Amino acid sequence: MAHKLEVSLTIPSMPEFVGVVRLAISGIAARLNFTIDEIEDIKISVSEACTNVIQHAYGENSNPEKDIIDIKAYIIDDNLEIVVKDFGQGFDLSIIGTPEQREKSKEKMGLGLGLTFIKSLMDDANFESVQGQGTTIQMKKKSVNYSPAAVS
Amino acid sequence: MITEFSIDVDTITLSNSKSLPAIRVRGEIDIYTCSELRKTLSSTLEDSANDFLLNLEHVQYIDSTGLGTIAHSAQQIQTNNGHVFIICTKPQIKKIFEVSGLLSKNITLYESEDHISVPVEK
Repeated sequence: MAHKLEVSLTIPSMPEFVGVVRLAISGIAARLNFTIDEIEDIKISVSEACTNVIQHAYGENSNPEKDIIDIKAYIIDDNLEIVVKDFGQGFDLSIIGTPEQREKSKEKMGLGLGLTFIKSLMDDANFESVQGQGTTIQMKKKSVNYSPAAVS
Repeated sequence: MITEFSIDVDTITLSNSKSLPAIRVRGEIDIYTCSELRKTLSSTLEDSANDFLLNLEHVQYIDSTGLGTIAHSAQQIQTNNGHVFIICTKPQIKKIFEVSGLLSKNITLYESEDHISVPVEK
């Protein structure tokens, strides 16, 4: 039976910590023998997920001591699964990809592309959000060059 | 290793003796550093620039926040027929520009600063 190994990282919902998450995630992805290009895709996806939390989850009066982003990476054989979770206000998922969302994002100088990037760069991506409780972004990628000796 | 983020601004003169502001960035462009890039871009554009060069050769990472910042400036100068010349050699960064759809607008990628001596048709 496949082992499910967990690596967990919690950061304050603050811009200066997103780079730390990218560093950690590239280290984890390297354990699974992902190629440099794939590691780059994973870094962007996780970064976009964290950026999304910082920009939208905790509103204008975010409290850095309380408002956190919970990042969990699961290694299951040749699969890397990453879950980025916040405990913020949640949002209506049906607006993703709509002109309305693009407009809202533009107000924050974004492109409204963060979640689209995750979908196109990872093998699989799921978004779950409960108003008032938070949002969970789950993403998966399979390592083609995986060798079991790399993670032991 | 994370290269420390830095931005240098000077002027480049093209072969047709047209000169434009050259903004050279090092490090990673993300939600943390893009505000500094935004400030540099807006002060460069305040000095009445239409076109500008943005050299990303030494940028290791860029995501939608960085692209959004660049897109915003590109949009600002579009009304004056302005163009953004981006120098970018890393395949991963080129890929993210391609995925974003920004290249259909007034933003073009070049391999090096020498390559932009050919003026872009307007």
